[in-house]
Amino acid sequence: MASPFPTSSSAPGEGNLVVDVMPQKISGLSAMTFQYPLKLISPSSTSYQKSVLVFLLTYGGGLVGGDQVNLKIIVKKTSKLSIVTQGHTKIFKSLSPDIVTRQKLQVMIESGAALCLLPDPVQPFQFSAYEQSQIFEVADTGSLCLLDWVSAGRTARGEDWDFWKWSGRNEVWAASEAGRKRRLLLRDNVFLNAQELNDEDRDHSVRRKMQGLGIFGTLVLRGPLMEKLALFFLEEFAALPRIGSRDFRSQDMKDKDSSLVLSPQEAWRKQRLRQEALDGVLWSAAKVRGCTVIKFGTCTVEGGRVWIGGMIKQEGSISDKFGEDSIMCIR
Amino acid sequence: MYPSGPDTDRNCGTRLGTHTLDVHPQFKCHLPSRIAEYDFFMTSPSDYPQSQTIQDELDILEKHLQDAKARLKEGAPPRAPRLLVANEGPFSTSSQHFLLLLSDSALPLGSFAFSSGLESYLAHTRPKSSFPAFLDFSLGSYASTTLPFVLAAYRNPINLVELDDTLDAAIMCTVGRRASVAQGRALLSIWDRSFASALPDGGSKEAVAVLKEFAILLRATSPVATNDLPTASAHLGPLFGAIACILGMSLRQTAYVFMLSHVKALLSAAVRASIFGPYHAQKILASVEVQEGIGGVIERVWDTSIEDAGQSVPIMDLWVGRHEMLYSRIFNS
Repeated sequence: MASPFPTSSSAPGEGNLVVDVMPQKISGLSAMTFQYPLKLISPSSTSYQKSVLVFLLTYGGGLVGGDQVNLKIIVKKTSKLSIVTQGHTKIFKSLSPDIVTRQKLQVMIESGAALCLLPDPVQPFQFSAYEQSQIFEVADTGSLCLLDWVSAGRTARGEDWDFWKWSGRNEVWAASEAGRKRRLLLRDNVFLNAQELNDEDRDHSVRRKMQGLGIFGTLVLRGPLMEKLALFFLEEFAALPRIGSRDFRSQDMKDKDSSLVLSPQEAWRKQRLRQEALDGVLWSAAKVRGCTVIKFGTCTVEGGRVWIGGMIKQEGSISDKFGEDSIMCIR
Repeated sequence: MYPSGPDTDRNCGTRLGTHTLDVHPQFKCHLPSRIAEYDFFMTSPSDYPQSQTIQDELDILEKHLQDAKARLKEGAPPRAPRLLVANEGPFSTSSQHFLLLLSDSALPLGSFAFSSGLESYLAHTRPKSSFPAFLDFSLGSYASTTLPFVLAAYRNPINLVELDDTLDAAIMCTVGRRASVAQGRALLSIWDRSFASALPDGGSKEAVAVLKEFAILLRATSPVATNDLPTASAHLGPLFGAIACILGMSLRQTAYVFMLSHVKALLSAAVRASIFGPYHAQKILASVEVQEGIGGVIERVWDTSIEDAGQSVPIMDLWVGRHEMLYSRIFNS
């Protein structure tokens, strides 16, 4: 007997998400489908929410070797979407390096729309093989905030970049307009492969390359809603103390300077710099073809969270525009 | 776990007192021992007609052997190392000439001004810095991010503008972009003012036209950094590939010279940063490790498409990006 229900449009691991502006002028979900092992949850919308909040979940909090997740998102004109996760996305071990766990994200951000993707870090376990591809097509006035970070694994078990393979691809394309092809604005590929360096110590080649970092991340900002935040990062980067500089002030001057009352901004910066030194934070910010790219690495996952969370909270425009919940993973 | 040749095999057999002849497959088809066997068993007069036929068979076999040897001699590949001196290019003499020009450290690209993150690495890792470790990282990182663009530009010089644009989107830090563009523009000037007039016969007219258009496009691009996307940036990698192709170098030579130039620039920077002296630098440059290192990374990215080019040493982006934060600098990157 033929099923009376319409056939399912989703396949295993596939998901679809469409965000649009609702009649009452707030952003809302106009479509959401997903299938195991992917799960999407969105709290019911309220009239005062600044953006639609969606939890990107996986059963068991991670992806088992060979899982394929494929999520397509459309953020329609002038609507706003924030995506968060429920914890580190764990990548469990694969039976062999050829069995690759994949996560694919394809996003279309229309004009005036915005997406804020601030998830928890990906945590690849020992002997895992993982590929991630996140492709964003952003219209001229669309905005994007993307955080992509990966940790050294289960450090409490002694893991330290012991996976087989981790590869991450982030692409930002300028959406095609009348008569013009879409154009690549930014391609940030990172390939960490245990079998690559030309040395005898292949088992630890990724660990050697990571130079003691416990987490490595990239933040990509683009569009009018992110302008303030991008500028904030660039200015803070320019204001970093010079490496290898010496303090040539006399003792008198030092005493005099330390008695000055610092502005809240300066006091915060001083405190942050102290914390950066403590956690071994290395970071850089640069403008890449209309996007701003911030790369950072710290010795511990917690140090990384404190740093990126501190920066984004201090500046404040993300929670202003997307709501407090959008930054829950980096608090 | 087999011994390497019949000699060791035989020794082994005698020592152990076993019959290697029956055991070892390599031995069973070993011709001289077969002949000895025949000689030993079949020389009695009564067997004479039979031994005559065998003698004939031997003559024929020997003739075959000689023919085969002669053929081997004729068709033998030259014993010179494949990478550098062999006449591989389509128009060999001039291509070798240009090979030497492009690999010359006096080529005015201004590479001496850049340390590709070495200076910043030293500042960040002092006192645990290790030049060999950095060289390994830098070679791997440069090959995985940039070499695919060199190869792609050589294979299809027509796509130069697109390759240049794609590479521009893939460089994640200001300092690295500045270094790549400065050297690329210098190479384009060298092409324009010096090489173009000495173009070897047989060079692709199409590719030359592409370079000409590219230079015009670059001049039209405003030199001041704006928020608009540049139409052309002139990164070193794709231009090097396209120019090497026009000058008739082989693809492998091009890749080797490109990577070797990077190593030479690093070593020159290391000497000026007082890590070691010039003799030690030459020692590293001449070492088997560097030769194998370059060969290894070329093998690894030979079939990598430009879409799959990417950073293999993420911390390199941090070191290069943070070069601007150094209190004192002697290099531009």
